[in-house]
Parts: sequence; C-alpha cells; structure tokens
Amino acid sequence: MGAIKVKPKLKNGIVKVKALASHEMTTYDIAKKRTGNRDDANFITHISASVNGTVVWEASTSQFLAKNPIFKFQFKGIGKKGDKVEMNWVDRKGNTGKGKGKIK
Amino acid sequence: MQRRKFLSLVGLGAVAMSAAPVALSATDWRADKPDVWTAKNVDDAIKAMYGSKAIAEGGVTVTTPDVAANGGAVPVNVKSDLDAKTVAIFQDANPESAVIVFDVNEYGIVNYDVKMKLKSVGEPITVTCVVETKDGKLHSGKRTLDVALGGCEG
Repeated sequence: MGAIKVKPKLKNGIVKVKALASHEMTTYDIAKKRTGNRDDANFITHISASVNGTVVWEASTSQFLAKNPIFKFQFKGIGKKGDKVEMNWVDRKGNTGKGKGKIK
Repeated sequence: MQRRKFLSLVGLGAVAMSAAPVALSATDWRADKPDVWTAKNVDDAIKAMYGSKAIAEGGVTVTTPDVAANGGAVPVNVKSDLDAKTVAIFQDANPESAVIVFDVNEYGIVNYDVKMKLKSVGEPITVTCVVETKDGKLHSGKRTLDVALGGCEG
C-alpha cells in the first residue's frame, strides 16, 4: 500500500495542493530490462483528489511520470481551512494508495 | 459509462474495490481510450484521444526548463485560462507519446505541475499540451527542450 503526502494551502480563495505519491513507476522498457518481462511494468494509472467527498482533481496517468511523482494543482469554490483533501491512486496491478492533508 | 467503469474495476480485486468510491466517479481514460496510451507518436495519440479535429495553436502555456539535467524527473507546468474540459500532455521522445490526461471539473484551475520521465534522444524534444474546451474545441501549446541524461533507461 503506497502513500501520498498531501499538502493543501488556501490563499485568496484558491486551494493550492502539492502531492507526492510514493511509487516506483516502472516503465515497460525498464521492466523488460530488469526481469525480461514487459508485463512487470507497474505505474499509477489513475489519481484523484477530493474534498468532503467531492472530486476536485483527477488524472489518468502513464508510465512516463517520474518515480515518486509530484503533482501540483489548484482548485477553488470548495474547501475551507481545516477541511481535508483526500487523494487516491490505482496502479496497473490494481494496488491502491491514499493520503490526506488538512487545508492550511 | 458507469457500467464500463465498474467492469474495468472488477478485475482489480477486493482491495481496490473497497477504495473505489472516489475512483468510480472519475473518468478513467486508460479504460475508455486505450489507444491513446499505446500510440507511438504525438499526432496518433492526439487523434486517438480527440479525433481528427482542427487544433488551434495558442491559449495554452507549457513551461519546462530549457535543458533538463535529469530526464528521470523533468518538471512541466501547463497553464491555460480556457474553459477546459480535459488537458492532455504528450511528448515525442519516449516509446509511447501520452504522459497524462487531466479531467477538469467546475472546481479545477488549469495550472498543473507534474514531473515526467523523458528519454534522451540526442535532439530537442517537443512537449505538446492539448486543451479540450467545454464547447469541444481543441487548443495546443508546445515547448521544446533538451534532455542531458535520459530517464527511461532505468
């Protein structure tokens, strides 16, 4: 089970989030080099963020994100100080990771 | 749509299912448009994602360093004031072109930073970002950079 560090900050009505997901992000090429099997590749395929159960940001991702990828994004119109931004990812092998951070 | 998403999640097993509620409300472009992720060049990837619509240049700002010292983590920023529905990033260095597709909802602001891996191919790499607006129009922005040390070799 992987983790995501989530750091949201509210300023001028906009919540800015920095998130760091712990994941190897193995590409097909690297997998083939390491184990000889292209199918050993594993990377985050979908990641999303929500506030109080409402999705505010989401992305479908590929093998070409950096190892332990960092995401920065912003949203407005939802979330106040003290609310939690929750994030979830799913990877190619079906593992999941999650994390949350309080809006400061 | 919901059914397809459900089917795609069934294979992921019990652990994933218990954590699925948030993912269920989202569009999984990997499941919806698998061809996007296997396309070998930027044009094919864009076609797989958006069809053969005309793309207007401009309205999208892509920022990267001029030279990325480490191809394993190249910072990219995408900004746009357009009323976006989806935002997609492609590049022409790696074996496949698609990097990430963002869904933008009513709360979203198009100002994203991600770090991506880029192979060093000995020539300038172009990062293309396409924004699909809510009325279905396509806009693109491009940025060319060099990578000193590739990030896909392991």
